[in-house]
Amino acid sequence: MTQEYVTEIADFISRYLSFMLGAGVHTSRVIRNSKRIGEALGVDVHIYTSQKTAALTVAEPGGTNMDTRVIEIPAYPISFEWNADLSALSWAAYDRKMSLDEIRTKFDGIVSKPKMSPVFVLLMASLANAAFCRLFGGDHWAMLVTFTSTLIGFFTRQHLARKRVNNYIVFVVSAFVASLCASSSLSLGLETAEIALATSVLYLVPGVPLINGIIDITDGHIQIGITRIVNAFMLIVCIAIGMSATLMLVKDSLL
Amino acid sequence: MIAMDIISDGLFAAVAAMGFGAISDPPLRAFPYIALLAAVGHATRYCLMTFLGVDIATASLAAAFVIGTGSVWCGKRVFCPMTTLYIPALLPMVPGTYAYKTVFSMIMFFQDINSPTQGSQYLQSMIFNGAVSFSVLFMLAVGATLPVFLLREKANSMTRGSKFL
Repeated sequence: MTQEYVTEIADFISRYLSFMLGAGVHTSRVIRNSKRIGEALGVDVHIYTSQKTAALTVAEPGGTNMDTRVIEIPAYPISFEWNADLSALSWAAYDRKMSLDEIRTKFDGIVSKPKMSPVFVLLMASLANAAFCRLFGGDHWAMLVTFTSTLIGFFTRQHLARKRVNNYIVFVVSAFVASLCASSSLSLGLETAEIALATSVLYLVPGVPLINGIIDITDGHIQIGITRIVNAFMLIVCIAIGMSATLMLVKDSLL
Repeated sequence: MIAMDIISDGLFAAVAAMGFGAISDPPLRAFPYIALLAAVGHATRYCLMTFLGVDIATASLAAAFVIGTGSVWCGKRVFCPMTTLYIPALLPMVPGTYAYKTVFSMIMFFQDINSPTQGSQYLQSMIFNGAVSFSVLFMLAVGATLPVFLLREKANSMTRGSKFL
């Protein structure tokens, strides 16, 4: 095994690693999958991860060739599709003894697949929030208000995120916009107006980092687990701030 | 009538889970299973709370455990890791109204901070609602993660031999 080959493997695994960690996959899975790819290619892989960077060593077992580097983890939008397909890729590499070139081609195919259309996501999220409103006991009108306010709020979020506005500000603003739209149900005199107001911001709940954090902590990656939970908690605080702004405005009609 | 209630509860939970799932870009093949898991999970919690009088935290733990276990079976069929199925399925159980009341009570507490009776009432309501939302969220995460530990071998080879690569 030559040093060039080890470097090439390290190049690939660092890309694999940064895509998986960036797209919101929990730590132990990323490490397991990267090691599996390394094993398929006949090298030892050691990884240290933190929130924004990871350190990677690829070494030839029993030899002297190795490659160590620090990788920056870019913030991709969360993608379960990458999670599923990149995990499957690591198994395929292991089971079918794929060569590095084959793995790389597959990898490029997976990450360049077109994402779900933003308009479709927008509609689905609004529909979801309306259904959610019903679960909390809202009536049809409350559902309609929730649907509309989520539509506007989520659109705001998508738009601001595209403009690369700071994530916390995105959350505060879209929580404010969504709840403000939902507070129209108060002036419409709906019976379940409060439920519409409560549900309108729930599309923002950061479920993925929250659960990933718990999984990481219970897997022994306590440091990064706490980071994820703190991050999720900050986003929840942002939702609360955005919603508070609306409640301050309409609190008199709520009492 | 009771059956109708349970079914509609599951149905709305399924719609909610699919929609919230769509935000995290899951593979299309996962949607039916996300819906199924969410419906079963939420209906379980609904039944436990309505008919057996179980409290919301314990019922959430049980429902999350059902979802987590179900995702082992579903994940194997569509070659998706468990987390990609159970995280969206858990989202309809997020304690939204409690969280809302926590924020609302906090604001009212600050408005009435000088009135000892009303202020402390709102403070009490804030702690009460906050405790419920926190426990439920925590129980949801723990309940769904438990099966991963119990079935570790299976949980870690979910995507092996995927046909969708």
